[in-house]
Amino acid sequence: MSRAVVVTGLGTAGAYGCGRAALERALAAGEVPAPAEIDRSGGYHRRPGARRLLLAPMTALAPWLPPAEARRMSPPSRLAVAAARMALAEAAIAPEEVAGPATAVVIATSFGPSSFSEALVRQVLTEGPEAASPYYFTESVANAAAAQIAISCAARGANLTLCQREAGALLALGRGAAEVAAGRADRALVGAVDEIAPLTHALLDRFGGLARRRPDRAEAAAARQGERAAGGGEVGRPFDRRRNGVVAAQGATVLLLETEEAAWRAGRRPLARILGWGSAFDPSAPPSGWGRGAAQLGRAMRRLLARCAPELAVDGKLTSREDGEGGSAIGGPATGVGASDGPATGVAAGDGPATGVSASDGPAIAALRAIDRIVSGAAGTRAGDRLEAQVLHAAWDGLPLPPVLVPKGVTGEYGGGFLGALVLAAAGAPFGPAAGFGEPDPALGLAPHDGGPLPAPRLLLASSLAAGGAAAWVVLGAP
Amino acid sequence: VVSGVGAVSGFGWGVEALWQGLHAGATAIRRLRRFDPTPHRTHLAAEVPLPAPAGAPGGGDRRLSLADRFALAAAVEALAAAGLAPPDRPRPAAERARQPAARESVEQGIGEGAVGVYFGSSTGGMWESEGFLAGLLGGPRRTLHTLAAQQVNGPGDAVARALGVTGPVATVSSACASGALAIGAALAALRTGEIEVALAGGADSLCQLTYAGFNALRAVDEGPCRPFQSGRGGMSVGEGAAVLVLEPLARALARGVTPLAVLAGAGATCDAHHMTAPEPGGAGAALAIAAALADAGLGPGDIDFVNAHGTGTPLNDTAEWRALAEVFGARAASLPVTATKAGVGHLLGSSGALEAVVTVLSLARGELHPVPRGAAAVDPACPVALVVDRPLRLPAARAAVSTSLAFGGANAALVLARPAATAA
Repeated sequence: MSRAVVVTGLGTAGAYGCGRAALERALAAGEVPAPAEIDRSGGYHRRPGARRLLLAPMTALAPWLPPAEARRMSPPSRLAVAAARMALAEAAIAPEEVAGPATAVVIATSFGPSSFSEALVRQVLTEGPEAASPYYFTESVANAAAAQIAISCAARGANLTLCQREAGALLALGRGAAEVAAGRADRALVGAVDEIAPLTHALLDRFGGLARRRPDRAEAAAARQGERAAGGGEVGRPFDRRRNGVVAAQGATVLLLETEEAAWRAGRRPLARILGWGSAFDPSAPPSGWGRGAAQLGRAMRRLLARCAPELAVDGKLTSREDGEGGSAIGGPATGVGASDGPATGVAAGDGPATGVSASDGPAIAALRAIDRIVSGAAGTRAGDRLEAQVLHAAWDGLPLPPVLVPKGVTGEYGGGFLGALVLAAAGAPFGPAAGFGEPDPALGLAPHDGGPLPAPRLLLASSLAAGGAAAWVVLGAP
Repeated sequence: VVSGVGAVSGFGWGVEALWQGLHAGATAIRRLRRFDPTPHRTHLAAEVPLPAPAGAPGGGDRRLSLADRFALAAAVEALAAAGLAPPDRPRPAAERARQPAARESVEQGIGEGAVGVYFGSSTGGMWESEGFLAGLLGGPRRTLHTLAAQQVNGPGDAVARALGVTGPVATVSSACASGALAIGAALAALRTGEIEVALAGGADSLCQLTYAGFNALRAVDEGPCRPFQSGRGGMSVGEGAAVLVLEPLARALARGVTPLAVLAGAGATCDAHHMTAPEPGGAGAALAIAAALADAGLGPGDIDFVNAHGTGTPLNDTAEWRALAEVFGARAASLPVTATKAGVGHLLGSSGALEAVVTVLSLARGELHPVPRGAAAVDPACPVALVVDRPLRLPAARAAVSTSLAFGGANAALVLARPAATAA
């Protein structure tokens, strides 16, 4: 059984505020929300180092999560339950309607309830094991958020928590869609939640993952002209020449997935259709870094597109994409069309020749040409963004890239913000200038979309590569 | 089908050590030595014997956590059993320095991207994280590399990295159901044709967080755990890893490999009841078993034994019995039940995978292991037909159910069958 799956509800809470409209406004403006200062009193941080993060306003969750409920939950559980309720409200579904075994819950988290884990371990190490709080322990498990969502609306279907760093959000979206498509569930609450505790922040900083204050001449000049620099110079700059790390963020997004038929029957207008999903791994990546497997990941992306080509309503013929929207490739060739054009991006893929094109690539190429928007998980790391650019070039293999949106410049590095942004992009929401981006990196051969008006996309590819080697992609269609 | 299995447990490194320990009615639950248990309320655990045997994979890579090493050893053993082990080729020094645990890609002869890794883990490298945090709090300092693989996805990633896997890699972290849910995810990916071969399993190592946490909940028995028995006082914490190689029957046969079992179906549900307590009537668990049976195209009458979650906590065992009674009706009281945790403790995120391996071995060898010698009488509140005293010969067993019931109410059930049973 394979049923068409759509997104009909979106709940989100991040530094941009609570609710779909808040995220939509932030993305349209291309503005980074005001950052918070990390608590460095635990003694985990080195000096100097990153000081900022993007925090969801926990007090703003109250309309969705009364304090009497919230007090029994870790921060990720609070964020996730509130986001799930927002998603149901947006779809005009009462929680009672999703009660039962037909509702699955699939949630991704990178580090789980890290503040509770940290507090518990600290108790054990400093006060002794008998001081360990059962409350902290109960809510320290990675699946606490998924479990609390299920409890909050009596969702008795499959309940999964996926941990795959930056690729987790798309893996969860694919897994949730698979549950509904295969008929194992009629609907799924799918999302991503991340918490950045001081220890997590410090460790990410020690690994060199976080953006640090390093104002260059251009930034100093911009500051003199009154331009706001988010995070006092700690700015996530996806695909920018000056990028030096990500801005860690805390928040949650939960989507309601259901069959297209059920949505239309109930009069719910879908935000996006989920047409395909897939994932791969780059074994050359170190445990907390990025690998050199761009060509191999590019081939994996092509295999995914070939696999879901029938769902994309393309037939394998090489048809011309309607250009004139301003593609994202810079410095590379423009419009290779023929199957024999070969790799020509000018960007080394890192692990040998890229894809090569054969007759059997027809469906993949047709799919590539039909995709008119990319939402990239690039967040501002040196190596991660470079790999992302190389993978896209390897997959497109000389064909012009469609406009590339980079929402993590606005949302910071957390899967939920990315998940919400890609659904909004599929729904045709406007995206402003790429936050943090100012100077193209000639080594990447692509620049994010500049914020000019774009027609609503028909087919959108979301791409997210994770530190450690995982990669995930999802293809969304316009509603 | 399941074409190979591997395991690391309190009984030692390898499937044979596991089976021999269980078959003999022994227990690996002993006084804890990894860290000082004296300040804890209880003092027992089922620890994997260390150091690892000479030649165990990953031994030279300082970035691997203990859980990663368990995972890698189980994966390499399972691949070898399936006739798919990549050679441990001589590699240039620079590559060895970068990836000490790496071997030739397991995908050779299968296809790029055609192998997937689906792993369950509850705490990943938490043991190493605790050491690092202790250093920050004034203890002996640890270098940053000890944290490189501290993430929950560490074990699955480590397996994929070492074996050159380029297909999907996904880590499920749904507490004690993680391993079984990961196996279910692998089955789904095989059925859709997304992959040709799956390495599915789980890994977790002992750490102070879980040891102190379960003690804080008063969920740990002061003695070795006694699933389904009168007077039981809770679980025993264990550690280890287990991996199953899953692939289509034709692929295994083409290689001349006789399948050990068929992974016939998987089911998953949630109690949606309480963060730590199971739904008392076992309704969620019953639904998971029923879903797995439906997925397998089998009925309750086709099941000849159950490898129970059987933690030994009063609430879990009672709820699980009610679930079995709901699904199997009058047969429930006579359906043979094994409880592997009595021998190797609770492997948390990898328990479902290890118990799936034990279920495979039970089907392949036609025998169910007993709970350790000296078992008390079965609790009338959960009157399962527990295998006690000696192994139970079941050479004609057709199919079995393995259950995993977790924190947060996540339930998973797997149906495994003898190859002949499904071929018929």
